[in-house]
Amino acid sequence: MAESKIVMPGELLSDKPERISYAYVDKGKTYSTVVGLFFEGKLVPLEGPYEPLPDDLIVGLITEVKFSGYSVDINTAYPAFLSSREIRERYNMGDTIFARITMIDEVRSTELGDAKKLPAGRLVKVSSVKIPRIIGKKNSMIDMLQSATGCQINAGRNGYVWIAGAGNATLVEKAIRTIEAQAHTHGLTDRVSAFLKSNKQ
Amino acid sequence: MGGNAADKPKLFENGKRIDGRKLDDLRDVKIVARVLNDADGSAYVEWGKNKILAGVYGPSECIPRHDQSLYRSVIKCRYNMAPFSGAEEHGRSGPNRRSKELSKVIREAFENVIISENFPKTQIEIFVEVLQSDGGTRCAALTAAAVALADAGIPMKDLINAVAVCKIDGKMAVDPGKEEDNFGESDMPIAFSPRTGDILLFQMDGLLTREELAEGVKLAKDASAKIRGMQVAAIQQVYSEPREERFLIIRTPGAEAGERNSPG
Repeated sequence: MAESKIVMPGELLSDKPERISYAYVDKGKTYSTVVGLFFEGKLVPLEGPYEPLPDDLIVGLITEVKFSGYSVDINTAYPAFLSSREIRERYNMGDTIFARITMIDEVRSTELGDAKKLPAGRLVKVSSVKIPRIIGKKNSMIDMLQSATGCQINAGRNGYVWIAGAGNATLVEKAIRTIEAQAHTHGLTDRVSAFLKSNKQ
Repeated sequence: MGGNAADKPKLFENGKRIDGRKLDDLRDVKIVARVLNDADGSAYVEWGKNKILAGVYGPSECIPRHDQSLYRSVIKCRYNMAPFSGAEEHGRSGPNRRSKELSKVIREAFENVIISENFPKTQIEIFVEVLQSDGGTRCAALTAAAVALADAGIPMKDLINAVAVCKIDGKMAVDPGKEEDNFGESDMPIAFSPRTGDILLFQMDGLLTREELAEGVKLAKDASAKIRGMQVAAIQQVYSEPREERFLIIRTPGAEAGERNSPG
C-alpha cells in the first residue's frame, strides 16, 4: 500500500493506452476520470455512485409490490425488478432483502434473483466504494465486527449494510462510520479492533 | 462595465491595481471540499470577497421524464445569487435573465467533461449559490462546481476551472474585482480544461484588440494552473484530514472564532 497515490480527474496514469477501470484514453495516453487511489495499475475510486454489475450481492428495500413481482430500491437511480417467479417467499413494502443481480441491460434496467428476506434489523447507508473495506479481506472485517458485537451483518455491494440480531447494533454502526471515514488509509483493521475493544462496556 | 463614468476611480497607478495587486495576481482564493452532509458532493469557495457554495446531486432519476435521454445523463445547473449577496439590491431570489444565462454557460462547460454516457436515463444536478458577490462570480461558481462534482465521484475527463481577465486603464490584468469589472474597458471570463488547454467557456464584454485578447488568454491560462493546484489541494484535504461531520462554518466579521451568532 505504500506507493498508492491519490489521483484527480484528468491526471495522467500511463503514457500508453491501457484498459483501466475509471480511466480513459486520449491520444495514446491514459488518464483518470475520478478522484481515486492508483496502485499497481489499478484505480479504485474514493467516492462515486453505485454502478451495478451482474452477480453483485446487494441489500435492497422493497418499495412496491406489483402483480408480477417487486420494485426494489438498490441505491441506483431507478429501482430494480425482482420477479415473483424467481422466489418462493412473499414480501411486503418495506421488507429488506439480500439478493443477486441477475441481469442488467444497456439502459441499466436491473433484474434480481436468489432473494432472501432479512430478519428485523437496521439499515446503514454508506458509499458503495467503501464496501470492500467494510467486508475486508476474505470477510475479515465483517467477521471481526460480528464476533465483537454479536450482530449479524449483511453488507451489500450497493452500499446498504443490514445489521440484525440481538447484539450491539449501535456499536456496529459507529464502527462502520469510522471505516467509511478512513477507508483510504492502511492499518484499518487494527484501528477498528482497538475501537471495538475500547467501546465495549 | 456599467459603472457611471463620473465615479470612475484610478484603476492602475504606480504599477499597482486598485486593491494593491499586480497585473497577474489573483485575489486570495480558499477552497474547501465536502462541506454539506446530504449532498453527494459539495464545495465552498471564497475568492476575494466572493463566497460561493456548490452542491451536486446524482446521478438520480431524471424528472421531468421528457428531459431524459436513453444515451446519457442530463446535466442540470442552477446558479443563484442570494438576495443579500451584493451591494446593490438583487430583488427576490430565484431565476432571472442573468442567472439563467450563467446557469447555461456553466452547464455547457461541464457537458464537455462529464462522462455522462455511463448513466443513461438519469440526471446530474449542480446547484451553485452565491452568498456574497464581488465580481467574477461565474468563474468562482464554475471552480466550486468542479470540486463538488469531483467530490461526488462523478467521472470527468478533467478537473476544470475558470478565471476572468480584464482591461484596466489600457492594461490587461487577471481576475478583475468589482470596481475593475464595472469601470474597466473590457471583461473576459474563460474556463479551461487544464489538461488539454481547451477553452470551455468564453465570454467577452467591451472591446479588445487581437493582441490584447491573446495576452488575456495567456494570463488566464497561467492563473488557471494556479487555481487547479488549489482545487487539488482542497480534494486531498478531505482524505488527509477525514471528518465525520461535514458542516460549514462561515465566519461573519466581528464574530469570534467558535462563537455562535444568536438570532435577533
